[in-house]
Amino acid sequence: MELGLSSTSDKSVLKLDPRTKLCLLIAISLIMVGGKTAGVEYILRVICAAIPFVLLLTVRHIKSALIYVVLIAFSVFCEGSVIPNISGAPNLILMILCGIISRFVPGYMMGWYTVRSTSVSEFMTAMDRMHVPYFITIPFSVMFRYFPTLSEEYRSVHDAMKMREIGQSVKNPFTYIEYVLVPIMMSTVRIADELSAASLTKGLCAGGKRTHICQISIRLYDWLLMFGTLAMIVLFFAF
Amino acid sequence: MIEFRNVTFAYSSTDANGRAIEQGSINGLDLTIQNGEFIVLTGGSGCGKTTVTRLINGLIPHYYSGTLNGEVMIDGKSVPDTPIFETAKKVGSVFQNPRSQFFNVNTTDEIAFAAENQCCEPAEISKAITATAASMHIEKLLDRNIFELSGGEKQIIACAGINVLSPDIIVLDEPSSNLDSEAIEKLKAVLTDWKSQGKTIVIAEHRLYFLRELADRMLILENGRIAKELITEEIKKLTADDTEKMGIRPTMLPEIHCSQKNTDVQGDVLLLEDFRFTYNDGKHGINIPRLELPANHIIAIIGHNGAGKSTLARNICGLERKCKGTLIMNGKKLKAKDRLHSCYMIMQDVNHQLFTESVRDEVMLSMTDKLLTDEQKIKKADEILSQLDLLEYANTHPMALSGGQKQRTAIASGVASSKPVIIFDEPTSGLDLAHMKQVSNQLKKLKEIGKTIIVVTHDNEFILSCCDHIVRLENGCVADN
Repeated sequence: MELGLSSTSDKSVLKLDPRTKLCLLIAISLIMVGGKTAGVEYILRVICAAIPFVLLLTVRHIKSALIYVVLIAFSVFCEGSVIPNISGAPNLILMILCGIISRFVPGYMMGWYTVRSTSVSEFMTAMDRMHVPYFITIPFSVMFRYFPTLSEEYRSVHDAMKMREIGQSVKNPFTYIEYVLVPIMMSTVRIADELSAASLTKGLCAGGKRTHICQISIRLYDWLLMFGTLAMIVLFFAF
Repeated sequence: MIEFRNVTFAYSSTDANGRAIEQGSINGLDLTIQNGEFIVLTGGSGCGKTTVTRLINGLIPHYYSGTLNGEVMIDGKSVPDTPIFETAKKVGSVFQNPRSQFFNVNTTDEIAFAAENQCCEPAEISKAITATAASMHIEKLLDRNIFELSGGEKQIIACAGINVLSPDIIVLDEPSSNLDSEAIEKLKAVLTDWKSQGKTIVIAEHRLYFLRELADRMLILENGRIAKELITEEIKKLTADDTEKMGIRPTMLPEIHCSQKNTDVQGDVLLLEDFRFTYNDGKHGINIPRLELPANHIIAIIGHNGAGKSTLARNICGLERKCKGTLIMNGKKLKAKDRLHSCYMIMQDVNHQLFTESVRDEVMLSMTDKLLTDEQKIKKADEILSQLDLLEYANTHPMALSGGQKQRTAIASGVASSKPVIIFDEPTSGLDLAHMKQVSNQLKKLKEIGKTIIVVTHDNEFILSCCDHIVRLENGCVADN
């Protein structure tokens, strides 16, 4: 899986506003982690579990969507018909496993969808519209840019270790971690330093205002989704 | 107009032992640059040319701290007293490392970035981007992931970003050091265009051949002072001997004369068979059914960015397990996994391959022979270090060394590993004449002790100085041998 904000946003069929995605993310995490497996909350949980699946399909991440559905189906099936019929250690292990999958995986997938389907400039624009100050937005957007850099750096260091035939011979795990971390840190610190200098010469500054060429707007379906999300949260706390 | 009046600058930094020191960089510089002038700054590493560019774009003193004396002014306004985002309206900058000058992941966003920061109208910016893309022929680079572009394409995106905001002054700090000759031609076209628009251009560079027709003035810096100043006519008259004497790289691209006769390989050979490899994108890769390379020679692998040079080097090294090719050396057939034991690669960024706390440990880490005692290892390590003029740094942390010393440390551990084949990936990118010669002498030394050396490079001047066999790749296939 590749990390980092998406580079282009053309691929998606349904273009949601980043703010809608944030609302959904919060609601799904809240309801999936805290909800009970019966009554109204059960229905809410089913809806929330389905949302990331649909959204992943809209950005054509079909493989991850299918894996997600299989995982959720497995845990629902086990919670419904296997766990009540077994006892002892297998029961406990299965219950913990299914609990973790059904409670955390939907939120994780929603987060992954948000990151994959939002470009850095969409993110900055949305944050700006919500009047989030730059000293919060800029570090976040740089962080997203950093994931691909980190994986590039890690690949190089890994190659170097393979070629120097260290790694297999290092018995001490701390030495191994040191060998991986020190070169990565040295080069990422240098990249960060050069990146800040370059951004400054392009006129980025925390105090000023900036414009955005990227166009985001809250459309009808955004309003509908946000309203639906709000309704779910109200129901969740009411019952 | 840019004016330097008696400018002296020293970087404040720390030495290897953590003590604060002042590193002098510019020393009493007086310089006036007229509007529309094209200035080339050159000279050996550490001569202060990068510092001059930083003084113009305001990174000194706003980002790099140190002691600054004298006045730096743009159109009569002092740069140190102007906030850096104000200076950014007038001065655009292109940097050496294409990997680290982008804030965004998407190319179009990056091109718009500087203009957005200056609060230009979004509609205007979009219009400017379309116009720039058309004039620079980069429509197919728009709305792409920057991490998928080549170094040359990244530099062109950086230039496009400057075009959109269109500042009067443009400073470039060694923009060509990671580029091949094709990308340099594109950069030259952009520079020519800017010059015809009447922009003031200040470029710090080692490689001079592509600037010969553009430069109005060439300043050769030495120890933070202008040692020599040449104007257009003088620059055009420079011969290879003149530049050699001045310690700078030639202003003409040296031609490589290949004598085809020599291609019959004599003596021992390395035989590459069936080197086929494709990246996941299905487009890039190499396809080499058979290639003979002479053992104990210095072999250059050349070709454009994306021709498969580095891929071939990685495969020879055995870093790609998917590659089914074999290397036959001294009658032995080596598969990818075996090649890891017989090839050693000096990477372009040597920071990735230095792991330990001292130079001596670094060399000893490569000695995997279990029969040697620690004393024998130390003795052997010190021998290798003295060959490479590193003995005095034996106890220094590798990260505290200069770039060239780090590269030599990596070479030393390659020698210590007693692997017969040593591969260099772009060893001379961004090096001045003196350091380039140093590297080529090291390669010759390695050849003397019986190593086979394979160099991936697009530095023609460097190839002439030491290589004795050339392989040219095109679209993943061997075009010439």
